[in-house]
Amino acid sequence: MSLERVTRRLAAVWLALVLACLAHNAWYWGVHQGAPVTDMLAMLPRDEQRPLAGQATQALANAGARRITVLIGGGDKAQAQRAADAFLRALGDVPARHRVAYADQQAWLTLYTPVRAGLLSPQSRERLAKAPAEQLADQALAALYQPVGGPRVGAWADDPLNLFGQWLAERGQSSRVRVQDGRLMLTDPEAPDRHYALVLIELPGSGFEIGAQRALQPRLDAAAQAAQGQGARVICAGVPLFASAAAEQAEREIHTIGAGSLIGIVALTLLAFRSIRPRLLVALSMAVGLCVATSVCLLVFGQLHLVTLIFGASLLGVAENYGSNYFSARQGLQASERWVMLSRQIPIVSLAMATTVIGYALLALPPFPGLRQIAVFSAVGLVAAFVTVLWWFPLLDGAGRMAPTRFADWLGSRRALWPSLKGRGLAVLLLLSAVLAAWGASRLRVDDDIRQLQSAPPALVAQQREFTRLMQAPGLAQFFVVQGRDEQQLLEREEALTVLLRGMQLGVQAVSDWLPSQRRQHDDAELASRRAAEMRSLLADKLGQPVAAASAASASLAPQAWLASPASEPVRAQWLGRLGQGMASVVLLRGAESADTRAALATLKLDGVTWVDKVGEVSTLLGRYRELMSAVLLLGFVLTWAALVWRFGRAAWRALAPTALASVLTVALLAIGGQVLQLFHVLPLLILLGLGVDYGIFLLEQPGRAETRPFLSVTLAAASTLLSFGLLALSGTPALQAFGLTLAVGVFLAWLLTPFFLPPHA
Amino acid sequence: MKRRALLMAALPMAAHAAPDLAQAVRERLQQPEWLRGDFTQAKKVPGFAKPLVSSGNFFAARGRGVLWRTVKPFASELRLTQNEIRATQGGQTAMKLDASREPAVRVINTLMFALLNGDVSGLAELFELSGSTKGAGWQLALVPKPGALQQVLKKVGLEGDGFVRRIQLFEANGDESLIQLSNQRTDGADEPGLFQ
Repeated sequence: MSLERVTRRLAAVWLALVLACLAHNAWYWGVHQGAPVTDMLAMLPRDEQRPLAGQATQALANAGARRITVLIGGGDKAQAQRAADAFLRALGDVPARHRVAYADQQAWLTLYTPVRAGLLSPQSRERLAKAPAEQLADQALAALYQPVGGPRVGAWADDPLNLFGQWLAERGQSSRVRVQDGRLMLTDPEAPDRHYALVLIELPGSGFEIGAQRALQPRLDAAAQAAQGQGARVICAGVPLFASAAAEQAEREIHTIGAGSLIGIVALTLLAFRSIRPRLLVALSMAVGLCVATSVCLLVFGQLHLVTLIFGASLLGVAENYGSNYFSARQGLQASERWVMLSRQIPIVSLAMATTVIGYALLALPPFPGLRQIAVFSAVGLVAAFVTVLWWFPLLDGAGRMAPTRFADWLGSRRALWPSLKGRGLAVLLLLSAVLAAWGASRLRVDDDIRQLQSAPPALVAQQREFTRLMQAPGLAQFFVVQGRDEQQLLEREEALTVLLRGMQLGVQAVSDWLPSQRRQHDDAELASRRAAEMRSLLADKLGQPVAAASAASASLAPQAWLASPASEPVRAQWLGRLGQGMASVVLLRGAESADTRAALATLKLDGVTWVDKVGEVSTLLGRYRELMSAVLLLGFVLTWAALVWRFGRAAWRALAPTALASVLTVALLAIGGQVLQLFHVLPLLILLGLGVDYGIFLLEQPGRAETRPFLSVTLAAASTLLSFGLLALSGTPALQAFGLTLAVGVFLAWLLTPFFLPPHA
Repeated sequence: MKRRALLMAALPMAAHAAPDLAQAVRERLQQPEWLRGDFTQAKKVPGFAKPLVSSGNFFAARGRGVLWRTVKPFASELRLTQNEIRATQGGQTAMKLDASREPAVRVINTLMFALLNGDVSGLAELFELSGSTKGAGWQLALVPKPGALQQVLKKVGLEGDGFVRRIQLFEANGDESLIQLSNQRTDGADEPGLFQ
């Protein structure tokens, strides 16, 4: 059977398969409403995954995902309130909260007053346990005679030591927000004369809906301007602002980088082939690769991680080479000659494809589900794109002769400019490279901290930082998850933990501070009433008249009542409720930012208590992926070399050395340029291996300095890669920028170096 | 009832519109930087048959704070400064409120100083004022403006001449205090260490 007939049959089979994959994709994303997995920690090996940590983080994130908090003021109270009014007027009908109804203020007292007997602050508990009765009596009397005291609820005789007042005061201190004149107000902790009014905006809709956030932005800007018109500072904070800034940046970059890249690639194709068809077909091959890879991954793994989609799609970019090679080889030939050309090209392109797939498949070796998905996705996608080039392109490339353009001829003939290096020339090149590599190695810095990848606008980050300082709110990046078989065991375990944490001088925000366990309420009520009884006769003696007994209060606070009351709102998000086999809650911390503290907390061992450090864990994960990918990269070089030896024998090094050199020089140049290396610098090196070795293979197959087509193919492929991935170096998103920069430098170097390594006597 | 009685008592005196009243009281009062004096306090607390009587002395320094030193029947100190309220007995801290954590501390301190000094403009920020003057004497009835203060105080009565002589406090929890101030001096030496 002729190659043409075989190809036609295979093309039909392939069409059926691709259509099936397309239908599968349409069903999964459209009908099934599937969504990519976004939790980074799902990329960990299965036995290291902690679903609990993920769920807790998710619950906390959901609680704040739709809220924007605005602080307005910076001067005296009246100014803050005036500016807040101006802000709210300009905000219009956006639902915002800035006042607290009197009834809500009373909700606290309604909930806690009947159960006050069992509520003791840690300081009161300690004092009651240790202080002599005489001292307690004196304290009670002094408070009785003083013109002002701490906040007190009810009659002195019911609570001579004002234990309930102290408990309430301590609850109040867990937040810096105060209700003043019915408004939510805040005072600068370092400047007591600076006041801020607080406005809470709760976005409509669910989760991370960018639409609602972006619609709000102009209103928010106008409102901020109105408040600033009153001479006030405006500090905005909240997840939606970051999401909307990220979306805005992505959109801007799609408009600039994306458009620039598209125009460049189209112009290049038109110049080289005087037709847009090659570009469309190359795009088609990649689209087929993406579609088939997605389907296969979904069938194999049952789901698709967002990271797989992003990394896998990037790795697929190597497929550019196959289409580019096809059209460069086809140029200047009659339509009838394409089959002869194809039969000559198949082994070359197959080798190019195989060397790349080897590298990608190696990603499946480490026991990381994320890497396995990426390996399957990119390998399958690459093969699919390759097959599309091989089976569809000959049928779709148009009838007739593709006349060589002047530009293509000119470009191809530039090959002659490169001398083949040998002996001394090679030695000089290697020496120069060694010097650069040594310089780079001396400046090499590696940091996997996920915060390096943060790309929010500096103004927004500064506002968030100031907001955190003013609010002194606990951090959400690190926390404890506490579990118990039921509510009471959970609360008791929390109490054991918080005692320990307070001993470490950490600020703690825990549900059990607001809802003590039954056991603690019982113990505290007993302690307080025992000491009160001891005190009573002493007080009567000192006062010279009888003291009324405290009215008996014996009710205790139950979780249901607490959850149902508006008073639980400040910490309700920390109550996770039923999770897995039992109940769970989150304990938040202030002042746990230092690495030493976090390390100490990570080693705490208590029943049912789990330390969660999302930032640390994701950073560690990135670091492990970086190390694994580096190892895979080295192994990839070795295996690729083996494949090249099989084809080229002793000349194999000529195809591989330029890419190896380009990789080393790229890392060196990045280090010299001050880049701090992380995963997103290593991943493109793996792509570079696939791309660069292809250049070597294509050129080594026809190494003569007079051969124009291989060089045309390689140059067009490299230029397209620079225009697509390379332009990402201009992105404001650090991960994309690192990726683009590495690939741009690497691909340029690989393209530049490869012709030098071709044999001189071809 | 009580309020009406107070108004009746005020009838024979010259009644003023609020801005005039503030001006009139201010004209009669001394406005010292540094004031010291003695006090007697009689406090009626629900649950006690007899009023609780205490006495001692006080210092009030403008912009710095107030020291309330009870001598009888028990020695104790209450110190209100810009940054905190601290109660001590026998050198031991019995209660402490921090202004950086509890902004209300500033309000309480302003109030205490204003009451002892008869600082009308300070009081006018927190209360609705009414009252009258007669010769060198004056009296004020203070009702808290809507807000947090209303939850603590029902009303305050203030009387005096060149100094504040009588303060009546009606607290929201039912406690009533009558504080009589005497022997006020503005000439005493400044004691800068007092409010450190």
